[in-house]
Amino acid sequence: MKNKLTKEEVLHVADLARIEVTKEELEKYQVELKKLLDDVEKINEVENYDDEIMIAPWTNNTTLRSDVEGPMLDPKEVLLNAPHHTANYIAVPTVINENESEGA
Amino acid sequence: MSKYLPTIGIEVHVELKTNTKIFSNSRNGYGSVVNSLTNVVDLGYPGTLPTLNEEVINLGIKAATVLNCKIRRKMHFDRKNYFYPDNPKNYQITQNDTPIGYDGYVEINDDGVMKKIYIEEMHIEEDTCKSTHRKDNTYLDFNRAGVPLIEIVTKPCMTTPNEAKLYLEKLRELLFYTDVSDCKMEEGSMRADANISLRKKESDPFGTKVEIKNIGSISNVKLSLEKEIARQEKMLDNNESFKEQTRRFDSKLNDTVLMRVKETGNDYRYFPEPDIPFVEITDEMIENVKKTIPMLPDERREKYIELGISEINSNKLVQNRDLSDYINDLLDEKIDFQVAANLLLGDISAYLNKEEKTIEETTLNIERFIDLVNNVSNKTISSKNLKDILETIMTKEDSIEKIISSSDVQNITDENLLTEVVDKIIDANPESVNDYKNGHDRAIKYLMGQIMKETKGGANPALVMSILKDKLDN
Repeated sequence: MKNKLTKEEVLHVADLARIEVTKEELEKYQVELKKLLDDVEKINEVENYDDEIMIAPWTNNTTLRSDVEGPMLDPKEVLLNAPHHTANYIAVPTVINENESEGA
Repeated sequence: MSKYLPTIGIEVHVELKTNTKIFSNSRNGYGSVVNSLTNVVDLGYPGTLPTLNEEVINLGIKAATVLNCKIRRKMHFDRKNYFYPDNPKNYQITQNDTPIGYDGYVEINDDGVMKKIYIEEMHIEEDTCKSTHRKDNTYLDFNRAGVPLIEIVTKPCMTTPNEAKLYLEKLRELLFYTDVSDCKMEEGSMRADANISLRKKESDPFGTKVEIKNIGSISNVKLSLEKEIARQEKMLDNNESFKEQTRRFDSKLNDTVLMRVKETGNDYRYFPEPDIPFVEITDEMIENVKKTIPMLPDERREKYIELGISEINSNKLVQNRDLSDYINDLLDEKIDFQVAANLLLGDISAYLNKEEKTIEETTLNIERFIDLVNNVSNKTISSKNLKDILETIMTKEDSIEKIISSSDVQNITDENLLTEVVDKIIDANPESVNDYKNGHDRAIKYLMGQIMKETKGGANPALVMSILKDKLDN
């Protein structure tokens, strides 16, 4: 078993997280991320008693909320934590060229 | 006939017609002040937790039922991870493993040929915020963030752009009639993506897939598929290869345009959403939802045709839900439905469009409408004269008879119609006819009275007298 990730694997993860990594960080994460993955792998050693997946450490079902409106924030409050805003819109750096669609 | 076989699949997102958002109790609305319909959950603040809206599950069950889907009895949500400013918590809550509905179909009528369009799955998810891209910045409005959506995915089972159009029309009709969504493509509450590939024959593997995203209208879905088929045919003819790609339809260019391919592709690292425990759908929940499903469009069409309404008018009625609901309230009445449909789709629709009113906003309640239909079908009032008193009918509460008899335009001036009535009265009163012929002028007045009675006072007296004299004197 190899003891570190490839550079490409780390760069791919960095790209998904939209972060830049230096050459030194790259080498460091090759080892650190591999260690994290190995730790998580240990979960697979636990014997499965149930075919069903477990999504949370409890078995009760969710409680549904009634479709009744509650209080909402004033647009002024919404903008308080936004470094840039124009006419109630939160403004962020242009993320795509106009040919691209919205996210997911 | 093209030498290539198109394979088409459609993905549709519809916004659900709920009061509040899927995971928070802020309002689900359109057209409000920017960033005024949000709370800390919609904005993805740390430490906030999603609470699942009961009505979203109900509408999901309803959509699954009318799309003939199997309903998943125990389901969970998943996180779809991606970094993008339209979703500040950096994941979208969706259903990847356990979509609420699967293995369904809708039936389309392609010029008399019925075909089932198979639905692979339909799942519930949250909408993202609305991003407006400009050269200087991207502008974010979170009013749409957290609006409940269902995404409906067909199998790649359509073979012509027209089938795709018919499928979308059918889907929109079903979801609109069941109040799952208002399905307004122009407001983005229904959005369609189309997948298309070409191959030479059915036994070949699927060709290279091209996705056309965010098409703004049903007619543009058909048009963009036609354009894309032509484009791919040309490339295949020239032995040009192309990669899987995402395109969009540019309605100004009237063609599809390549969008920049995202480097990260589909690396969404889905995992189960731990903040929302399992959702269990019980028999009782399904039964309760089924009770709220109204008569569906196809059943309405069949019923109307059975009642004597033409196929064209039956379709027109179904296309206008207000009028269809209105006529559905009197299906058990003994009236001439052909006349009723003509009235609703003709003069009444023209009046409503002109006044920008719905039929519910007028004084024409069901009882008065039945009277009106009867008065038109027994020719007490001609359709020509109806136009002159329609406004009174639609705005006053007087009885239809009273409005007709007190109006100046009550006269029936249709000569053919009056001749029929005159003939009928002459045949029924041979004695009076004899009296007249023997010089008793009063007899013609009696006959005249009978005709006016027969037409409930609606006939034009001068015209009746002229026809009557003509008949008696010759």
